[in-house]
Amino acid sequence: MSEIKKIKNLKEFSTSADRFEGANLLCPGCAHSIIVREILNATNDDLILSSSTGCLEVCTAVYPYTSWDASWIHIGFENSSTAIAGAEAMHKALKAKGRLKQDRDPKFVAFGGDGASYDIGFQWISGCFERGHDMMYVVLDNEVYANTGGQRSSSTPIGSSATTSPAGRVSYGEKMNKKDMLSIMAAHGSPYVAQVAPNKWKNMIKAVQQGLNIEGPTFINAMSACTTEWKFDPADTVAISDLATDSLVFPLYEIIDGKELNITYRPKNIVPVEEYLAAQGRFKHLFKDQYKYLIKEWQERVDSNWEYLQRREEARV
Amino acid sequence: MLNKGWDEFEIGAMLRSFDGPTSNIATTLQEDRPYSQSNSFTASVADWRIEKPVFNKDYCIDCQFCWIYCPDMSIISRDKKMIGVDMDHCKGCGICVEVCPTNPKSLLMFQEKEDEDTVLAAWPEKEDKEK
Amino acid sequence: MAFDKMELRDIEVWDGNFAAAQALRQAQVDVVAAYPITPSTPIVEGYAKFKADGYVEGEFVMVESEHAAMSGCIGAAAAGGRVATATSSQGLALMVETLYQASGMRLPIVLNIVNRALAAPLNVNGDHSDMYLCRDSGWIQLNAFNAQEAYDLNFVAFKVSEDHDIRLPAIVNQDGFLTSHTAEGVKTLSDDDAYGFVGDYKPMNDMLDLDHPVTHGVQTEEDWHFEHKARQHNDLMVKVLPKIEEAFADFENLSGRKYNLVEKYDMDDADVVVVCMGSSVETAREVALEMREKGIKAGVLGLRVVRPFPFMEIAEALKDVKAIAALDRSSPNGAAGMLFNEIAGALINIDTKALLSGYVYGLGGRDLTKAHLTDLFTELQANVDAGKLTTKQQQFIGVRGPKLSFL
Repeated sequence: MSEIKKIKNLKEFSTSADRFEGANLLCPGCAHSIIVREILNATNDDLILSSSTGCLEVCTAVYPYTSWDASWIHIGFENSSTAIAGAEAMHKALKAKGRLKQDRDPKFVAFGGDGASYDIGFQWISGCFERGHDMMYVVLDNEVYANTGGQRSSSTPIGSSATTSPAGRVSYGEKMNKKDMLSIMAAHGSPYVAQVAPNKWKNMIKAVQQGLNIEGPTFINAMSACTTEWKFDPADTVAISDLATDSLVFPLYEIIDGKELNITYRPKNIVPVEEYLAAQGRFKHLFKDQYKYLIKEWQERVDSNWEYLQRREEARV
Repeated sequence: MLNKGWDEFEIGAMLRSFDGPTSNIATTLQEDRPYSQSNSFTASVADWRIEKPVFNKDYCIDCQFCWIYCPDMSIISRDKKMIGVDMDHCKGCGICVEVCPTNPKSLLMFQEKEDEDTVLAAWPEKEDKEK
Repeated sequence: MAFDKMELRDIEVWDGNFAAAQALRQAQVDVVAAYPITPSTPIVEGYAKFKADGYVEGEFVMVESEHAAMSGCIGAAAAGGRVATATSSQGLALMVETLYQASGMRLPIVLNIVNRALAAPLNVNGDHSDMYLCRDSGWIQLNAFNAQEAYDLNFVAFKVSEDHDIRLPAIVNQDGFLTSHTAEGVKTLSDDDAYGFVGDYKPMNDMLDLDHPVTHGVQTEEDWHFEHKARQHNDLMVKVLPKIEEAFADFENLSGRKYNLVEKYDMDDADVVVVCMGSSVETAREVALEMREKGIKAGVLGLRVVRPFPFMEIAEALKDVKAIAALDRSSPNGAAGMLFNEIAGALINIDTKALLSGYVYGLGGRDLTKAHLTDLFTELQANVDAGKLTTKQQQFIGVRGPKLSFL
């Protein structure tokens, strides 16, 4: 097991040498990039990375440029998990045969958006986790197919207006609730799953370090506020993320060994969900009289989930 | 790079991040890295900007909020000190200004064409916060 | 960890699947990522069992779909080691997306395809629909007519695929059941000779070289995509066939078994020739000899290398022939068969008056009988005698109901 990078505070963290480079093509203010930086900077270990097709992939490896300072592979939309599992298997094989070029053990990390993870790549991730590859899978969860222009995914929340579930004269937009991916991955028996957000950087690097240093498949669901599809000003990415975590729309918690749930962030002042919704264009229509009841339902859903998480944490099961 | 013919590049469209070996990139700062021509570090997105951040070090407390939240690796911090903005890679999103906690802010957005010395000379005064 | 060598008799009684599994063992494949499908399953089961018994050292990753199997193979190959798998039919169809990615990324992977029909209707038996499905995928495709060749061609596939001048994935085709499940005498190589022929894996652009990070699987739009595809096509057209011939020559030195890009049987003075693939080649050879006893100068051309298509070798082999039958074991579904088209292309600009007709046969494992082939050669001779085609250009053979012919 490699040594865990010591990060006492932000000043110390700022001495990290980024392994993700600028002049990538992500939108100004994109949270994907903040998340990737925090994850890569959380460790000094060598990294082997993969990305599924999606914003992160199409913006960071457009010939003739790469924004990655560690080996990286992209195959398709559905298989960053299996791509990295294949690389991990090869590392294991070559290590056993004494054929590694360097006597160092890299960490294997796969990235995918919520479309690539909750939807099209779901089976591939499930397979990797069931087989127990020593890898981390990170969802950059912006709750929409952003790369293809804003279609709903199974991570899109109720009431959000997406291009394939648009709000209109007689519709409030997306009808289904967001898939509970974290519970599903915990149910695979993963030793570590966590929901994180880039605004809570300390929380994020703690989760990432824990995940990377546990043997086996670990899962990180990272909230990624999308300036383009959530419709807010690029400068407000961190502010929106704060609203998400402090309204408990995105509660931050971890589940260890599929059972033990710990809430990892408790907002000092819980913000009403309404404030979170009001800050984004994708929920604008909910503030019309006919749909206001949905805001109330939103709040009730968030409250009940928060209560559930607290009960789970207390029960230690 | 842009004019290469079909027979002039690596097979499989494979790209190398660096020219030559890099034994511990995680602890090697950008200025010490052998970046290859294919590394986007060597490219610029400066022309994306409509507004640019200007850094006023007089008010900076080196909290590093701008460093951690910059999506474009464009806040240059060395030895725990914020030393400037990488204007080749900054896309002008304005996050650094939003998260800057000082009063007045140590980073402010200005039109791309504005002169840096002029805006530094006219930097706003400390604001009385009502709360 | 280490592994034991296996003592093999000079001739073992193996079916095509087991022969391929033995080849994977002897090549000491580092990673096999696989998913079961009839009739190819015994190949990867074989590798798993050899590993369980300590005769091979590597990772066997039993994934949850064929798409994942090839995804895992691509990740493993990009990481930098010897990779192989096997599939058939629907499995290959599910895998096709990743086949293009493997070849476009120039990753050496050996894929055994045990040829089987494509649904619907569902069918587990041998035809070449799956082979044809991926014919434009940028892989090298070799074709085995029997179990011996399935064994031998795997070694050639690794050697050519992994060569740094080539770096293209390679498929070894064998017929479902007729080859894969039919036991026959297979002349073996010793473990040392087999591994010596394939050689140690030489990594290139490997992700696991931690001191030289690489990016694989980039995006290229209209300013770059064409050049990369052109490069891949160029290397397939220019470099692969000479490298295969070189490997065939080395293999002959080692084993005494000689392979050619196209296999010619009784072709020297042949007037009428059947061109086909897979296990049909052997049936056709037998019938050709019988036709010669009847005074018809019959020959057979077996396609050893399907991709890159040996255009020049085909033209050379067929230039003095008077009537040719192209046998396609896959429904062209609205066109002439692949072999018909490729052969027509090979002959169109050379000075030959050969009459070319196409036959679709054997779909879903339907037997191609000696009687069919006797009729077929007789028909070709009739064409020669008439100096023109006496039938339509495309005919179905061995199908019940009214005669089907087109074009």
